[in-house]
Amino acid sequence: MDFVTGLFPWITNGPLITVQVMSGLSVGMLLFLVSVGMSLIFGVTRIVNLAHGSFYMVGAYLMVTLVEVLPAQEWAFWAALLLAPFGVAALGGIIEIGLLRLIYRRDPLMQLILTFGLILVIGTLVLLAWGPDNKSVSRPDALAGSVRILGQPFPSYYLLVLGLAPVVAVTLWLIFYRTRWGMLIRAATVDREMLGALGVNVARLYTQVFMFGSWLAGLGGALAAPTVAVALGMDGDVLTTAFVVVVIGGLGSFAGTFISALLVGLLQSFGILIFPAVSIVLLFAIMAVVLIVRPWGLLGRPEE
Amino acid sequence: MVFSRALAVLLVAAAVAPLVLPPFFLQLLTEIAIIGLFATAFNLLMGFGGMVSFGHAAYFALGAYTAALLVKKAGWPVLLALPVTPVVAAAGALLFGFFIVRLSHTYFAMLSLAFGQIVYTVIFKWKGLTGGDDGLLDVWPPAALKSPAAYYYFALGVVGLAMWALAAIVDSPFGYALKAVRENPRRARFIGINVRRHQLVAFVISGAFSGLAGGLFAFYNGSVFPDFAYFTKSFEPLVVALLGGVQSFGGPLAGAFAFKVLEWLISRQWPVYWPLFLGSVVIVVIVVLPQGFVGLLGRRGWARPGQS
Repeated sequence: MDFVTGLFPWITNGPLITVQVMSGLSVGMLLFLVSVGMSLIFGVTRIVNLAHGSFYMVGAYLMVTLVEVLPAQEWAFWAALLLAPFGVAALGGIIEIGLLRLIYRRDPLMQLILTFGLILVIGTLVLLAWGPDNKSVSRPDALAGSVRILGQPFPSYYLLVLGLAPVVAVTLWLIFYRTRWGMLIRAATVDREMLGALGVNVARLYTQVFMFGSWLAGLGGALAAPTVAVALGMDGDVLTTAFVVVVIGGLGSFAGTFISALLVGLLQSFGILIFPAVSIVLLFAIMAVVLIVRPWGLLGRPEE
Repeated sequence: MVFSRALAVLLVAAAVAPLVLPPFFLQLLTEIAIIGLFATAFNLLMGFGGMVSFGHAAYFALGAYTAALLVKKAGWPVLLALPVTPVVAAAGALLFGFFIVRLSHTYFAMLSLAFGQIVYTVIFKWKGLTGGDDGLLDVWPPAALKSPAAYYYFALGVVGLAMWALAAIVDSPFGYALKAVRENPRRARFIGINVRRHQLVAFVISGAFSGLAGGLFAFYNGSVFPDFAYFTKSFEPLVVALLGGVQSFGGPLAGAFAFKVLEWLISRQWPVYWPLFLGSVVIVVIVVLPQGFVGLLGRRGWARPGQS
């Protein structure tokens, strides 16, 4: 035991661990918002949307602009948080109708490469629109400070993220499992052709799903904006992490994405404490092991 | 016949280029040759094996760092260090490829990306060996090879030999078996081809030549950086091969020429717009010209739509 406490002095520090768990869960929750959209889009359209990190970035930048443009009132932040994701959803709709619709029948790898092209295009457009300097969004006054949890300081804004977590997860679950639209989505994940043969307008469903997934990425970006520097590289950073989450959880699996997002959030939070140098390697190593042992992810279905 | 005549013209043009072109263009041509080799090695997998790797920058970087470390830390001469680069890259490709070729299509691409990011992170974090973010500087070839014209001839010679070897591999019974695996893995298995072994061998060969390209690039550039292994770098050979056409052996080389010349033309005037342009070109090529620009030249007989 002395050996363990010598290596990891924080291990007996209950309050520190609690706070670390909470911040890990907050990070995991933001990851979930981005990853579940990516997973949803893959489940229905079979496209691995590499531009998903770019949607997240656009959400954060829209948040910056909206907070600046709206009158400096307390409600401006909340209005911006509500509006920014819809801007991203509109962008997603344009991309789906204008480009992806033309290539659904093509080799999946060509689709993957096309979404990579989108990363470059969106990245440059963001640079042109917002300039190269980092931006920041200030937190609303009510959540600007920090609270003490077991004596440890914890940013109150993260409480908002943590509080939203169950709401979003439950809402998504209700949408997927208790509405007709959700039923169509789940049906499309299993057999798109059959769904089309049954008279469902699959093309419209694709557009809706893509826009909904983009909306979730935008919400993730808008919600994350006050916690990070809004900068040009954030698309790649979030893409690689969301990618790991989606692959570990299982492409197209809702519950799998939720669990793996929280796991990855915790891993990042504790990885920094335990193996500061190799926490990212660890992430990709886990992804590699999952792909080798269960390529379809923890809770995904094997492809025929 | 037409092919060999075109090759002869190309070789003569390449040989006299230093007599007429200023040093800057020789450097551009050197870079085109190196990226062309990288993309051709990559295309052995994509065009001929039907496997798309999203982490090929890892093998390029393994080659580049092997070259830089041997010369800088072990004091090896360049001519001895360069032949080691494909060996180290091949070892990396064998280790990772063993797992990667067990998966297919999208999962193949994703696992290759995961391994690629592991290599990137190790290079980035292992400051003691690799210099981390600062990279390794002053990795120049000896004085005899340092002038643009001298290194141009040297790189061209090495790339030429490597391309000849790759062409021979594509044309060998192994190359045909690989194409059979691409067209129909199940049938290939029925006629007695060991599908996974062929894919793994192709992966290792591709990794080895990517490493050689990385080694050549290290001495051309005079320094190596972790970015060489980053996932965006992995898309470079992909875009280059796609531009030139993945179904023909010479496509990636032509694509490298188009890519580098365009990059020079556009980055010189509007550096900010280069990624925008590149991304748009990729999107247009995929949507409108699935056979790349070489496909435009009327070689449609080679290509079959919907295959890759």
